[in-house]
Amino acid sequence: MTTTDARTGARGRSTRTVPPHRRFRLALPYLAPALVLYAVFLVYPMIDAVRLSFFEWSGFRIEKPEFVGLDNYVRLFTSDPVFWTALRNSVIWVIASLLVPTVIALLLALGLNRRMLGRNLMRAVFYIPAVFASITVAAMWRWIYNPTLGFVNQLLHAVGLGDLAQSWLGDPQFALASIFVANIWQAVGFSMVLFLAGLQSVPLELVEAAKLDGAGAWQRFRNVTVPALRPTTVVVVILTIINALKVFDLVVGLTGGGPAQSTQVLALWSYTQSFTNHEYGMGGAVATVLLLVTLALVIPYMAWSMRGDES
Amino acid sequence: MTAMTTTRAATRRTTAPVREREKPRDWVGIGLWLALGVTALIWFVPMLLMFLTSVKSKTDINELPMWGLPTDWAWGNYASAVEIGNLWVTAGNSALIALIKVPLGLAIAAAAAFALSRIRFRGARILLALIAIGSMIPVQIGLGPLFSTMLSAHLLDSRLGLVLPYLAFGIPYQIFVLYGFFRSVPEELEESARIDGSSTFRIFWQIILPLAKPALAALFVLDFVATWNEYAMATTLLISQDNYTIPLAVQSFSTQWGTDYGPLNAFIFMSAIPVLLVYLLFQRYFVQGAFAGAVKG
Repeated sequence: MTTTDARTGARGRSTRTVPPHRRFRLALPYLAPALVLYAVFLVYPMIDAVRLSFFEWSGFRIEKPEFVGLDNYVRLFTSDPVFWTALRNSVIWVIASLLVPTVIALLLALGLNRRMLGRNLMRAVFYIPAVFASITVAAMWRWIYNPTLGFVNQLLHAVGLGDLAQSWLGDPQFALASIFVANIWQAVGFSMVLFLAGLQSVPLELVEAAKLDGAGAWQRFRNVTVPALRPTTVVVVILTIINALKVFDLVVGLTGGGPAQSTQVLALWSYTQSFTNHEYGMGGAVATVLLLVTLALVIPYMAWSMRGDES
Repeated sequence: MTAMTTTRAATRRTTAPVREREKPRDWVGIGLWLALGVTALIWFVPMLLMFLTSVKSKTDINELPMWGLPTDWAWGNYASAVEIGNLWVTAGNSALIALIKVPLGLAIAAAAAFALSRIRFRGARILLALIAIGSMIPVQIGLGPLFSTMLSAHLLDSRLGLVLPYLAFGIPYQIFVLYGFFRSVPEELEESARIDGSSTFRIFWQIILPLAKPALAALFVLDFVATWNEYAMATTLLISQDNYTIPLAVQSFSTQWGTDYGPLNAFIFMSAIPVLLVYLLFQRYFVQGAFAGAVKG
């Protein structure tokens, strides 16, 4: 966040002369709508999900939730056959998202930062998948993966590699990777735009100076571009992790978690337990695990992001 | 941006003769261009296939390879898609939700960001951090309780009811970005306005807000796209077909009429037109504005 320190040098600011408790009263009307919405529709459901994880409840209103202590967690870790698959797939998804689309996005941004013929058109081609709804991307790719009429298998047959044709979404061995390919197609554009924005902050004088000093392209990249891109990279990494933990629409649209739960992820398993299996308590327990994983990754980032913005 | 272009132009003028001589040897540049071009083509293929399928008859789809041009262009697929997918109703629902949610959400977020960044009460930073964390929590965690809450409040299966959680999940990120923008407004501007007798509200409305226009524009575009595309909350909180938004219509089309590939792909195309239009019209705001604001540096 760009915060040029404008406060130093200003003296006797009027809001400062107002005593603290009155300042809060002044702020309240501006804050209230946001805080009420945030508390009622975001914070409360999160806390309630954690609370529900200690209860057994079908979700039907005629039935009273029954307190069961840690039973749901014991079940989750010892006898839920899908939880570990979902956790593993979520972890794989996070790591793969950090490796594949992020690196492609960085390479594209570095390439497309140069002036060249058709640069804007290429940027648009890479970015447009990012504005499609994920559920729409899923519908598109289900067609591409169609076993008989789909593009992938038809192409393999056309080039004489027909033996490699698969039921891409129907085979537990390939299903998760197939969904991930669709994800790469969609996710690259957004990170690319962030990297392109970050590249605007590379100081051109430094690049020129390094050139004059005889620094090669690699040295210029290593010593000028990389340090300038560091803040952008942190943002891209945290957004990529968050989006990877949230992955839901693509899985719902492509496989629904199947075949045989092989593409299940935490976000979808929590939903499935609550709404399909009518196990709100188990759904809450999965949600709590997802919440803890998210907070463990997000809080250090927030600490970093708030640093250097002291009052 | 302007400064950069001027420098570039100047450099080119002075080094023009050198460049002429170097040009034939710029194999790196040509290689790079080819690599990017091929990658861009790969990225374009799924969109092209969707389009080709959307204008093919059933026979063509079954008999031609997916990349083949249709023998007769079945534009009628678009008309059937509108009908099967109930396009006008669902697009109307999505538009209604987006047109209420996006401006209202931005106004609420801007007011809160103003209070946090400019009024500077005790605990403002901690409050900001608590709000910002909310922008990073997966919505799926709260879906179960959200369903119960909306049921008790008689807001389940209501388009306007959906707007409330949409607002709650949209504002944290916007507050986070706008806070950064508002913080960078020089204190002196506010100071002189106050000496002229401006109220706090006028400072917010007439000084701070206009200065954040690029950020607001970028957030508007991002939020419109996100709202138009939202699926998880909509599928949980909307039940009847008449309340469906576009993503629910796409999903139900592809599960119920999945073998009607021509109309299905036509429907997919039409469902993305509003976001594509918004993207093309406001393209420059994606690179500038909010992203620069979101990136600390």
